[in-house]
Amino acid sequence: MTAPTSLLILMRTTPYGDQQARAAIDLALTAAAFELKVNCVLLDAAVLQLAGNQDTSAGGQKNHLALLSALEIYDVEALYVHTPSADRFGISSASLPYFAQPLEDKQLQQLMAQADQVMVF
Amino acid sequence: MKFSIVVQGAPWNSASALSALRFAETAVAAGHDIYRLFFYQDGVSNGALLSVPPQDEVDIPARWQQLIENHNIDAVVCAASALKRGILDQAEAGRYEKTAASLRPGFSISGLGQLVDAFQHSDRVVNFVR
Repeated sequence: MTAPTSLLILMRTTPYGDQQARAAIDLALTAAAFELKVNCVLLDAAVLQLAGNQDTSAGGQKNHLALLSALEIYDVEALYVHTPSADRFGISSASLPYFAQPLEDKQLQQLMAQADQVMVF
Repeated sequence: MKFSIVVQGAPWNSASALSALRFAETAVAAGHDIYRLFFYQDGVSNGALLSVPPQDEVDIPARWQQLIENHNIDAVVCAASALKRGILDQAEAGRYEKTAASLRPGFSISGLGQLVDAFQHSDRVVNFVR
């Protein structure tokens, strides 16, 4: 049996400014359902997807933090947060939810080199 | 090499669609294979049948159709992205009781699973973000 295709999804956008963050999650969940090895990384402004106390009840959009928390339940391997981006946007490592793992530049390079396919959103 | 191409930009919003089109045309001309074109998000508008651009602008949807038909390329618009943007084939138009279909010949409507399949069967998947 051949090894499953690995897919690395790099998210770069804020949670509610457009549909990209949502599109990335839809792809992650679908790919994991088809048994691809899926890793996700929050980069640049996408680290704001992890901001605490997101309240979308008035905005007509789904709570993005809740969607991110579902990734591991649906067999996505890991959700990483690019530490230099988190520092730049004031997302402290102490405030990260349990399902997000910090990732340094060097590890990001390794993930990109190891993945069969990379998608940026 | 076997490529798949993901297009996430609408024809008139950014350089995404035209860049993807030119990349695809060039890859085919250079003798490469295209396993699948996958139009995601705003990219589904590349399959708009009813788009009428001014005569002095590139008719991007028509150029896609030409490429797809001349080289028998599999071209998929994402169903979830397409339906909410009003891109429907005859079957979907019938199902939702709409008076017209709006997807170009050569394109088909299917799910994200077709993109996952493209990851598994292409040497390279080239993604044109918005």
